[in-house]
Amino acid sequence: MAKTAIHAEDLVKIYANNFKALNGISLSVEDGKTFALVGPNGAGKTTLIRILTTQIRPSSGNAFVEDLNVLTQDDEIRRIISYVPQEISVWTDLSGYENLLIYAKIFGIQKEERKKRIDEVLNKMGLYSVKDEMVRYYSGGMMRRLEIACALLTKPRILFLDEPTIGLDPAARKVVWDELKSFKEEYGITIFFTTHYMDEADMYADEIALINRGELIKKGNPEELKGLIGGEIIQLELDGYDEEILYKIRELDFVNEVFREGNEIRIVTKGKGLELFDFLDFIKRLGIKIKKISLKQVSLDDVFLKYAGSSIEARGRAVEVARVRSRIRKA
Amino acid sequence: MNIIEVLRYMGVMMELEFRRIMHDRTELYTRAIQPILWLVLYGTVMSIVRAIPTGNVSYIAYITPGILLQSTTFVSVFFGLQMVWERESGVLKKLLTTPLPRSSIVIGRSMAAGIRSLFQILLIVPVAMLLGVQFINVAFFILSVLIIFLVSGGFASLSIIIASFMKTRERFMGIGQAITMPLFFASNALYPVELMPKAIQYFAYFNPMSYAVSATRALMITGDLSTLLFDILAIMIFDIIIFIFASLAFKRIIE
Ligand SMILES: Nc1ncnc2c1ncn2[C@@H]1O[C@H](COP(=O)(O)OP(=O)(O)O)[C@@H](O)[C@H]1O
Ligand SMILES: [Mg+2]
Repeated sequence: MAKTAIHAEDLVKIYANNFKALNGISLSVEDGKTFALVGPNGAGKTTLIRILTTQIRPSSGNAFVEDLNVLTQDDEIRRIISYVPQEISVWTDLSGYENLLIYAKIFGIQKEERKKRIDEVLNKMGLYSVKDEMVRYYSGGMMRRLEIACALLTKPRILFLDEPTIGLDPAARKVVWDELKSFKEEYGITIFFTTHYMDEADMYADEIALINRGELIKKGNPEELKGLIGGEIIQLELDGYDEEILYKIRELDFVNEVFREGNEIRIVTKGKGLELFDFLDFIKRLGIKIKKISLKQVSLDDVFLKYAGSSIEARGRAVEVARVRSRIRKA
Repeated sequence: MNIIEVLRYMGVMMELEFRRIMHDRTELYTRAIQPILWLVLYGTVMSIVRAIPTGNVSYIAYITPGILLQSTTFVSVFFGLQMVWERESGVLKKLLTTPLPRSSIVIGRSMAAGIRSLFQILLIVPVAMLLGVQFINVAFFILSVLIIFLVSGGFASLSIIIASFMKTRERFMGIGQAITMPLFFASNALYPVELMPKAIQYFAYFNPMSYAVSATRALMITGDLSTLLFDILAIMIFDIIIFIFASLAFKRIIE
């Protein structure tokens, strides 16, 4: 059986203001896997990652990182992990090289080894050509890559990333992940990351846990999770309909589920193919006019919508915009 | 607590501060304006007035150590308060996940304030010399710089403790002033303690600034070393106590 890199048992965190940020979270991460913790802002992702990286202690429950106990063996855990926080963790008034140099010294990397390691991570993260520029002139994606480079200096066994691509455009996100993947392949490390971008988890994670309001809603690999929903989704708007019609749709043999979001009806099919044609026939027979219709693949957001009762995207966006702005202002 | 680790980390934090100062020196210069004005304007005027008995040294020479300390203290206090900012930045969170002992994060951070102080001294001392202040000798001067270094670390820690109680990062400057001004005026920096009202005299006895001024004035200006050992002892005790409390307060900052 594969080794466990991370194991959490019934973690509860109640902050000083009595706010319960985690309400009994249990999960396991296999060695060498990329694991995504996915949930909207305020779900408790950062709280969980801060407990696993031994910054704060759980109010109850326990967790293990490679069989080391976060409560009693935190010193040893800190020797094998690396962590990139959600907020900026490099000094923007130093150059990229100086940042790595200071971190290398903080980690106590010996002088002979230092330059070799710094050059290595600079190359790996594609930053060698800008190493002497002030970090405040870096783009968001470059800054993130520098932070990951700092985290990789120590050749950690487990890498924790809190919202590694927050505020980055899709192209910059892809670059960050390409670099991460190549490093992972070379060293076989375990990556534990949080995100509220569903598509990111879908694309890069081997395993996913969905969390909402401090509770774990579902876990599994992306295909399993999407399989919980069904085949495809027909989104449509009808020119006048009533509950009876919805009921009839629900009764169709290829329909798994029907949701309503505003004017829109979402029909989840069982995924046996060509169901859209059957459905169009059915609507035509009822004599109802279709205003708009489209077909889409099931996404993790649909899974979240089903089990958490609201869409992660709708909630994520506004908060994220505010946060990215404050990130930029602080930098 | 592993002393070697703490010292090593202190060194790294001082290097970090040094590099940041090298990249951007404007703050250094703006912070030196006020103390230089104190010497040039207040010092010159009061020398002419001769209202305060300063023995056989000029009034400007008398207040130079105090002005140096006021300026370095302000820089240190402000430096410590910035920890409130860092609580929200990722650097502190990241440091917590490195194998460093936690107390070293506080002490390293505090001693880095000493580097900023050093630069203040480098800017102010030449002005004092131009105004005719004579320093006794290089060895004594270096020793007094070391003392200022230690005092800066202590005051930076003091402000880390205060920062741990702050909820927001507004009114930053105001709080910095509110800490330094009483320390400065209720000490022997500008006038002998004996000239003050009784109540303030008592405060001055518990004010670490008084001991710092007394030690640096002896080493830089008067050469009267009779209370030097006692002053240094008082500063060490202040530093140790304040480092311990700051390390404890640090827990509040990271939750
Ligand atoms: N230090 C703290 N004190 C009190 N409440 C906190 C603290 N940190 C986070 N919280 C609250 O706990 C909840 C979960 O926060 P967090 O773990 O940061 O969520 P996420 O990272 O998923 O956005 C939020 O409602 C947040 O306001
Ligand atoms: Mg978070």
